[in-house]
Amino acid sequence: MRRENGKDLEVLTFGLEGEVFAVEAESVREILDLVSVTDVPNSRPFVSGLINVRGKIVPLADLHIRFGMAPFNQSVDTRVVVIEVPLAGEPTTVGIIADKVFEVTNLIDASIEEAPDIGLKWRREFISGIGKRAEDFVIVLDMERIFAMGDTETVAQAEAAAKNHS
Amino acid sequence: MNSPDPGEIFRTEAQELLEQLEQALLDLETAPEDGELISSAFRALHTLKGSGAMFGFDAAARFAHGLENAFDLVRKGKVAASGALIGVALSAKDHLRLLIERPEEASSDESARILANLAKTIGAAGTAETAAATDEGADGATQGETSSATYRIQIRFPEDVMDNGTNPLLLIGELQDLGTCTVSPLTERVPPLDDIKPSACYVGWDVVLTTEKPRSAIEEVFIFVLDDMDLRVEKVEETSKRLGEILVERGDTPPDAVLTALSNQQRLGEILVKDGAASKERVASALAEQRHLTAAAAQAPQKAQPLQDSIKVPAERLDNLMDRVGELVIAQARLREIATASQDLALKVVAEEIERLASELRDNTMGIRMVPIGSLFGRFRRLVRDLSRELGKKVQLFTSGEETELDKTMIERLNDPMIHLIRNCIDHGLERPDVRTQAGKLQEGRVELSAVHSGAQVIISIKDDGKGLDRTRIRARAEEMGYLAPGAKVTDNELFQVIFQPGFSTSREVTNVSGRGVGMDVVKRTIEGLRGAIEINSTEGHGTEITLKLPLTLAIIDGLLVRVGLGRYVIPLSMVEECVELTPEQNLRAKNRNFLSIRGELVPFLRLRDMFNVTADAEPFPKVVIVSAGDLRVGLLVDQVIGDHQTVIKTLTKLHADVETFSGATILGDGSVALILDIDHLIDFGRAQEERLKAS
Amino acid sequence: MAKTVLTVDDSASMRQLVKLTLGGAGYTVVEATDGADGLDRARSAAVDLVVTDLNMPRMDGISLIKELRKLPSYKGVPILLLTTESDDDRKKEARAAGATGWITKPFNQDQLLGVVRKVLGS
Repeated sequence: MRRENGKDLEVLTFGLEGEVFAVEAESVREILDLVSVTDVPNSRPFVSGLINVRGKIVPLADLHIRFGMAPFNQSVDTRVVVIEVPLAGEPTTVGIIADKVFEVTNLIDASIEEAPDIGLKWRREFISGIGKRAEDFVIVLDMERIFAMGDTETVAQAEAAAKNHS
Repeated sequence: MNSPDPGEIFRTEAQELLEQLEQALLDLETAPEDGELISSAFRALHTLKGSGAMFGFDAAARFAHGLENAFDLVRKGKVAASGALIGVALSAKDHLRLLIERPEEASSDESARILANLAKTIGAAGTAETAAATDEGADGATQGETSSATYRIQIRFPEDVMDNGTNPLLLIGELQDLGTCTVSPLTERVPPLDDIKPSACYVGWDVVLTTEKPRSAIEEVFIFVLDDMDLRVEKVEETSKRLGEILVERGDTPPDAVLTALSNQQRLGEILVKDGAASKERVASALAEQRHLTAAAAQAPQKAQPLQDSIKVPAERLDNLMDRVGELVIAQARLREIATASQDLALKVVAEEIERLASELRDNTMGIRMVPIGSLFGRFRRLVRDLSRELGKKVQLFTSGEETELDKTMIERLNDPMIHLIRNCIDHGLERPDVRTQAGKLQEGRVELSAVHSGAQVIISIKDDGKGLDRTRIRARAEEMGYLAPGAKVTDNELFQVIFQPGFSTSREVTNVSGRGVGMDVVKRTIEGLRGAIEINSTEGHGTEITLKLPLTLAIIDGLLVRVGLGRYVIPLSMVEECVELTPEQNLRAKNRNFLSIRGELVPFLRLRDMFNVTADAEPFPKVVIVSAGDLRVGLLVDQVIGDHQTVIKTLTKLHADVETFSGATILGDGSVALILDIDHLIDFGRAQEERLKAS
Repeated sequence: MAKTVLTVDDSASMRQLVKLTLGGAGYTVVEATDGADGLDRARSAAVDLVVTDLNMPRMDGISLIKELRKLPSYKGVPILLLTTESDDDRKKEARAAGATGWITKPFNQDQLLGVVRKVLGS
């Protein structure tokens, strides 16, 4: 975990298929409505689109696919969260699709727990921690890892590989 | 002043240190493992280096640095204090004494010789470090900027910052000395009185600073605490901004909250505070920034530049200008779309006028970014000299076409691949002097760099008169690596392209020079990343020539906009030969062969719909765009040819590095994104797909 | 009142340079020849700033900083470390030990004075 001790973690919370996820607010640049996506033929399904963010061409990622959910379905609540993540050491602007964006909130230090090994639907490498907000769990994502992962590796494959190891 | 001169004191002190060093070395001969003796020698050298540099004994300091590095390795247990090492160190100590006491009598060759000896004695572990010591220090000072800019600086210290003797107020004061400053303290982290620790710092600061100093000067102020604190420095435009814009930019308020507040038509700041969307202090701080910016914007036009024949402009500003021109070109494309659809004659006339101006502005701006390639060639003289010495080969460097101009970004990115190619030339291409004499060549090898314009391209060549590429060995290696079927017939060019495959190296002896760092595959990727191509020609026994073909600029090209399914794509116009219609009969006939007869010549074509997995309905009368790639003519089957398009090239991120069929993307008049086709890779991809189909 | 600076260095020429520079700017300069000596002097005099070398016999600069920070009267007193380029990776260690900042050798008198004013104010 890259989190510094004794500090609150400011996050943006958003929903994917009913689960609440969060990204560190520091990495969020802006939140946009989803308009006009350009397909990149033969790219990885997880990052198959490009969007125009104020004259900048930005890849659009669908975390649904990364997490083994069905691809996103556009609704009135769909938003693009524009974040900046380091990719191979270079800060890169990326858009991620959210079914719904909730709020910017502080997770106090004590409530962020290291991701447990078991009892998780998602690969723990993707998760930088689990916070509690009221009675709900918030999954704080490690965007750098999510984008850094191998070209063709899918969650299912990676999980299968992990099982074979243990 | 009656105090003694520190330089004189250093000389006296150096004598003592040299004696301390000598004693330690002599004692080490009998007790080579004694840690205290090793530390003592190291400390003496460390002080000689540090103080020597302070008092103007540069040569002595550099030399001491080389020795210090060696003893650092001994100290860390990586190298033993052997008899041989102590022998060299003792002679080094005598030389060091000479460097300090009678520097005019000491020769730099002797310094180099001793350090080389030392490097040999301690082996590979220390070569890099001791070699570094003989290298001259950093070159030229950086240019100072003279124009002023405004920065938003957000300063948050850790609470215990004052424990280490840092005084935050002094730092804020230093910032104020840099220029015109608006400081807003933020006290929201201050706890209730009972909980306050007097030695803790709870206050944060937002500062808006207009300064002529570069951004680094701001970071310099905080240099000692930079790692422990949260410092954000952002450049802000000196224009009057709305409060909401500032709050959102600073990340103090979400954009939605501002919009909601705005729709209520009261004073924004008050509403945001009331809604709890931003604290009162943050709003006050943003208001302070607003006032500062408005004042700075009012000041700015009064500072007129003195009239000069030529002016120096920071590269960053040129990049900004190019970006703006790019945006103008995109906006102009939108205007053209509107004008074309309109009946308004006056609008059409203005649109055409603006198109002409935008295109001229584009060419002029690109012209400003052009730099002669001589600046790049110049850097290689030193490289060639060093390499020839290192490898014991005699080399002469010839250059021509230094005046050829190229986009400055291109020149920067060419640096690394060129270094690699020149290294290869000298390391693998050129023979040693004795071998050359036997082969009837001059002892001194030739390396030629040249550059020349050819249409919209620049052609750079790196040529040597060495032994040439060994076809048999390359073929053997290629077959071994599985890049070539055994016995397959290939042209020279095809065979040589194998060199660019990852992991390919036929060099039997891995030398220090080309055995490390990047491979030829990286060179090729870099050149292709610049939308260029790389070719090799070689005659056994006579030498090798590597040719780089590069576009003049990276920024804007003329393109042909086409549609495939729902997607729109740009084909670089310089590669387009003609467009023809494919009749349904031809289409049917060509179903299985994908060849087209153009004026009696058979041209293969690629169905982009299939390649891009398009499912949308096909046009009954698709078009074929004939492109030329090298000696090859290939047709691209598209649904529709939309027309010419001035294309502002934007690169794709690493997330799409695996998709080689596109060299970049651009923004169209309606704001949507179109991909730019990379013709060479597209053809490769099409072929591979065909092979797969045939095989299955 | 003139502020007091303690210079800790095993090199007499370096101490002399610090003394010349800071003495000339109106500071009172006290000298110590290594870390252990520096600690003794720091205990017996009221010092406003410590400038110490890194590599010294008996007690090195980082140990000295650690010892000084243990003394209640030295909590919050700025301590500057004299380093060379090759000690780059030790700056972090020095910060953790409680150093306020550093000056990289070689430096000239103006640079030294600049850094001292930075931590003491002018």
